[in-house]
Parts: sequence; structure tokens; C-alpha cells
Amino acid sequence: MIDLSFLNSFADSAFFWSALIFSVACAFTGLAAVRLSLKGEAVTSLMAISTFTTVAGVSLFLISLPELFNVGFARDTAIALLVVGSIGTILFARLFRAGK
Amino acid sequence: MQIEISVIIYMLAVFGFVAWNIKKGSFVLDPSKLVPVMIFIAVLAVAILASMGIDLGIATTTIMKIGAAGILFSGTLPMVAAGIGFLRFGDEYGINIFYVRNHIGGIVDCVSSLVMIFVGLLIVRLDLAAVGFFFFMLLPFTSNALANSYYYSYQRRIKQ
Repeated sequence: MIDLSFLNSFADSAFFWSALIFSVACAFTGLAAVRLSLKGEAVTSLMAISTFTTVAGVSLFLISLPELFNVGFARDTAIALLVVGSIGTILFARLFRAGK
Repeated sequence: MQIEISVIIYMLAVFGFVAWNIKKGSFVLDPSKLVPVMIFIAVLAVAILASMGIDLGIATTTIMKIGAAGILFSGTLPMVAAGIGFLRFGDEYGINIFYVRNHIGGIVDCVSSLVMIFVGLLIVRLDLAAVGFFFFMLLPFTSNALANSYYYSYQRRIKQ
């Protein structure tokens, strides 16, 4: 007979630690993107900031999950970052292309 | 203590499989076979748990949460590799290094959106999956617009 409490604890613990490690990896990539945005030219900075908004949005969405830290307002911030960040990147890329 | 050791073993197994894929340069198991195999393993695990008298809903939720943890672990390695790539490829590689950085940014976007979609589906948070799907649909346009704007701004600089 498999112990269900062990399996439940394993699932909870694995999900918590995986989300935490993934968030740390996202933070590392975000810091690298910020470094790139500070030393590159305009389009490179735009690309790096787009990457930073992506990883920040995913990390915020993960910490808003009830299985993890249950920070409710982080979900709305994450949706705004992911949606508006992508659309803003496309708009500014069009502006840079036109040379304005 | 036993649970933490099990989590570490699970993490190392997923990391090892992802690293094996990266080292090989292609998928060890073709994705058209990998996804059905993973679904078959999950269904088999749920069936074994249900046959042992465990409630079907609880067994399904537990197995899906373990699968979501595996998805998150498998997304960690490409994310770290992308961060190292951002730090590694400097301006000394010439003007076309932008396209390499854009490719790395595309990997970050792709990993993020796929993790959001699959984790959202596995832990039954459809808002997470919906935002991930929207982002997955939008990210090719973002990368294309960035590469396009870099190309035309570079051509303009040459003319000037």
C-alpha cells in the first residue's frame, strides 16, 4: 500500500522547490538582461527590457499562486507586465524602425 | 528528510534529462513520442494509485502536481543558460551579435510561455495557461519586430 500522505507531501514539496528554483533562475536572467540593457544601444536595450518584463511577469505570476506564497495582487501586475510589455515592445520597435 | 531527498533526486533526474537533450543538440526522444510517453506514464501512475484504493481525484491532482514540478525544473536549465548567454556574448563579437541576443531573448520568452501554459494546465489554473497562450502567440511578433527595427536602423546608420 502506497502512503498517500508521503505522495502528497512529495508533490507539495516538489512544486514549491521547483517554482522557487525557477524564480531564482528567472531573477538571474533578469539581472543579466538589465546589465545588457545598460550597456547596449537602443534596440538592444529594448530587447533586454522586453526579456526582463517577461521574466518578472512569470516570477510574479508564480508567487501569486495559492500553492506558493498566495500574493493575490501579483497576478494582476504579472498580466499587465506580460501583455503591455509585449505590445509596447512591438510599438517601440516600429518607432525605431521608422527612425522617429 | 526523506521527502527532501526524493525532491532532490527528482530534480537531478529532470536536470540530467534536459542537459542530455542540450548536449545531444536535439531531442533524445522526439517530441511527438515524448509527450504521449509522459501522458501514458501519468495515466499509468494514476491507474496504479486508483487500483490501490486511493480516491481518483486525489491521485490525479497529486500526479499532475508532480508533473508541474517537473515542467518547472526542466525550464530552469534553459533559463540559466540564457542568462549566461546574455552575460557571455558581448559587443566584441561585432554588430551581428544583436541577432544572437535576440535569439537568446526568444528562448527566454519561449520557455516562460511554455512553462506558464503547461503548469497552468497541470495545476488547473486556467488564467495562467490563458496568459501564457496569449504570450506564446505574441512573442514571434515581438522578436520579428525587434530584428526588423535593428536591421533598418543599421541600414540607416550606414547611409548616414
